[in-house]
Amino acid sequence: MVAAKKTKKTHESINNRLALVMKSGKYTLGYKTVLKTLRNSKVVLSGKLVIIANNCPPLRKSEIEYYAMLAKVGVHHYNGNNVDLGTACGKYYRVCCLSIIDPGDSDIIKSMPGGDH
Amino acid sequence: MVKFLKPGKAVVVLQGRYAGRKAVIVRNFDDGTRDRPYGHCLVAGIKKYPAKVIKKDSAKKTAKKSRVKAFVKLVNYRHLMPTRYTLDVTAAKEAKKRLEERFKTGKNRWFFTKLRF
Repeated sequence: MVAAKKTKKTHESINNRLALVMKSGKYTLGYKTVLKTLRNSKVVLSGKLVIIANNCPPLRKSEIEYYAMLAKVGVHHYNGNNVDLGTACGKYYRVCCLSIIDPGDSDIIKSMPGGDH
Repeated sequence: MVKFLKPGKAVVVLQGRYAGRKAVIVRNFDDGTRDRPYGHCLVAGIKKYPAKVIKKDSAKKTAKKSRVKAFVKLVNYRHLMPTRYTLDVTAAKEAKKRLEERFKTGKNRWFFTKLRF
């Protein structure tokens, strides 16, 4: 799986979109809740996009990708580690994976067509 | 977001006495019940996999080796790993009989092979 090298510009735009989701949308942070949203079939509470940090342990990463494949949910591999992802979410802790339930005003889901599966 | 924990889905049980065994979802209880306020499902699985049959075996031995021992259990979603495979067996009471029939017809070969770990 060769992802295109992220340019500075697109990386910043992902951060912007994430910030908008944090402000206006619904999301959950953390491995356990991400799996929960992927399993959930209720439209209101189900995940729409999953973002994984790049230093996520490979077993956990493949597990989330497999669940997302079954649920037909896009997976985005964030260009940064869990510290960076936490900062991008505006939190003072590390975030290894997060799930976006409702993008709010953000167009993050539309601009990530299918994610980097 | 597609609901994938449906009756007929092959799963691997992760916890408990039957950890590592393959099973089929027979019924879902997505919202839980009063006794079990969490998402869970009824699975029918293989307690004892059928043994490998070789050409040398007599008919009696083949019959003995092709026996499948089944179990039926209510399992929390958290303790299951869903797979991309499905198995069209949705009976709980006659789980053993149905599973044995399935095995004999040679369909769903993946399901009846022991998961090696």
